[in-house]
Amino acid sequence: MSEQILSVNSAAIGFDDVEPLIEGVELRLREGEIVGLTGRSGIGKTTLIRTCAGLIPPLSGSISFAGAPLGDKARGEVGLIPQRLGLIQHQTVGYNVLMGALPRAKWYQSAFSLPSAEMRESTRNAVEAVGLQDKILTSVNSLSGGQQRRVAIARAMVQSPKLVLADECLGELDAETAKGIINLLRDLANDGTSILIVDHNPVRARTFCDRVLQLRGKRLVELGDEEQDATPALPVLRRPEQ
Amino acid sequence: MSDTSRVVQIFLKRPMIRVALVLSVLSVLVASHLRITLSRLGDASSNLRVITQEAWPPDFSVVTDRASWAYPPCELQTDWMCSPAVVGMTQTLEIAFLATILGMVLSLPLAAASATNLAPPLMAQSIRQLLAALRVLPSLIWALIFVILVGIGPLAGVLAMTMYSVGYLGKLQYEALEGVSREPLEVARTMGLPRWQVARFFAIPEAANSLLSQMLFMFEYNVRHGSVVGLVGAGGIGWYMQYYLEPFKLYDRVLALIIVMYVVVIAIDQVSLRIRRRFIEDEPMRPKWKQVFLPWTDG
Repeated sequence: MSEQILSVNSAAIGFDDVEPLIEGVELRLREGEIVGLTGRSGIGKTTLIRTCAGLIPPLSGSISFAGAPLGDKARGEVGLIPQRLGLIQHQTVGYNVLMGALPRAKWYQSAFSLPSAEMRESTRNAVEAVGLQDKILTSVNSLSGGQQRRVAIARAMVQSPKLVLADECLGELDAETAKGIINLLRDLANDGTSILIVDHNPVRARTFCDRVLQLRGKRLVELGDEEQDATPALPVLRRPEQ
Repeated sequence: MSDTSRVVQIFLKRPMIRVALVLSVLSVLVASHLRITLSRLGDASSNLRVITQEAWPPDFSVVTDRASWAYPPCELQTDWMCSPAVVGMTQTLEIAFLATILGMVLSLPLAAASATNLAPPLMAQSIRQLLAALRVLPSLIWALIFVILVGIGPLAGVLAMTMYSVGYLGKLQYEALEGVSREPLEVARTMGLPRWQVARFFAIPEAANSLLSQMLFMFEYNVRHGSVVGLVGAGGIGWYMQYYLEPFKLYDRVLALIIVMYVVVIAIDQVSLRIRRRFIEDEPMRPKWKQVFLPWTDG
């Protein structure tokens, strides 16, 4: 049986003890599993992702990572792809991807900016895997939105974490580009990485996620197959009746 | 109500007029407290006439004649290269350059340790107080202190300007670091990186354009102030001005030095402004140093 990577137990999420954004969160992620997280804008998806990353403490309840408290996670075991990707502006693709290898750098390698041969090799491989080998020395500012997302995923690939938390990393991409990104995420999951991904489009999430969760009101619920099929990708605009 | 009093009332209802009246009254009171009188301004005009007569025309021998009394001694063969203007201005530029580099090297770690998004609150506040303390004294007072400590000469100037640069640059830098996007820092924190790596590899590169622009601004500032610290013996062109002022009162030579300094400072300001503009404007790619210094190689 595959290992349980992330476990959120009876947690209240938010910033205000009196009025949490989400209550009674129960969330389990197994090794190599891709779980989608959907819900309307402003409901707390990003806050939940940031809490699972350890950036915001839960108001109550607990979060454990690989059977131990989240705070005890080793360096590089959790990767984050924020909504706006968190790329370092005006730096090259190579620099941004190499940052994924930083958690395993020895102190002198980071102090003197001397990445090891293995770090450079894994950076080159990840950049090739996302198809940006001819852009490795290009500033990330001059890339398209889809290419920037590939850089963020390549950074996660170099990091090879046990868990990736991706916040809307498919964004408003066209179908073809989104498919390419999804394939990269699937490759990452096939290597054993668990992925919790926010996608505002539940129908698309259903196509590539093993499970899809939805935030409704203040609750996190798992969508059944029928519900997932019935949930519209976008609100249906009806013509007013004459 | 008479027409005059109505006009006065309407006049006084305007907030700008009321503020101007209050400020005028306060200015008169402050001037009176400082014993500033028009008769003293009259004396100044007669002094100005004397100085102008003695200073004009400027004596540009300061650009051509060798200054045998230069410190450190000039050993070049060509006279004009050892003239007070060239030696003094070169020293001022060298002092400004060294002070800016030292200031940048010292202030950057302090700025990272005082940025609230990178350092623990107590450490950030303590180092901010240190930077504020360095800024309290202007570079002229620092120069006086270092002339006493290390003696007359450029070393005192370099140390004085470095102290002020650390305080001033440090403040600009921690503000730039606090302004970087939250997301790259959160990516680094999620990875579990220590604070110094978050600052070194994420925050500083993200703020690199602002930091470089600030360094160039500091160099400009140090060139301008490098001439002032010379007046108290801390080297540079100011020291040569002081040599002509006391006891010789050779105002024509001082005016020539001021003109030389003005031309150099304006030239540096213009070059620095153009370079800084390339860093602060939102360009798709970071400019390359080659493009900055050799703009004709673009494309």
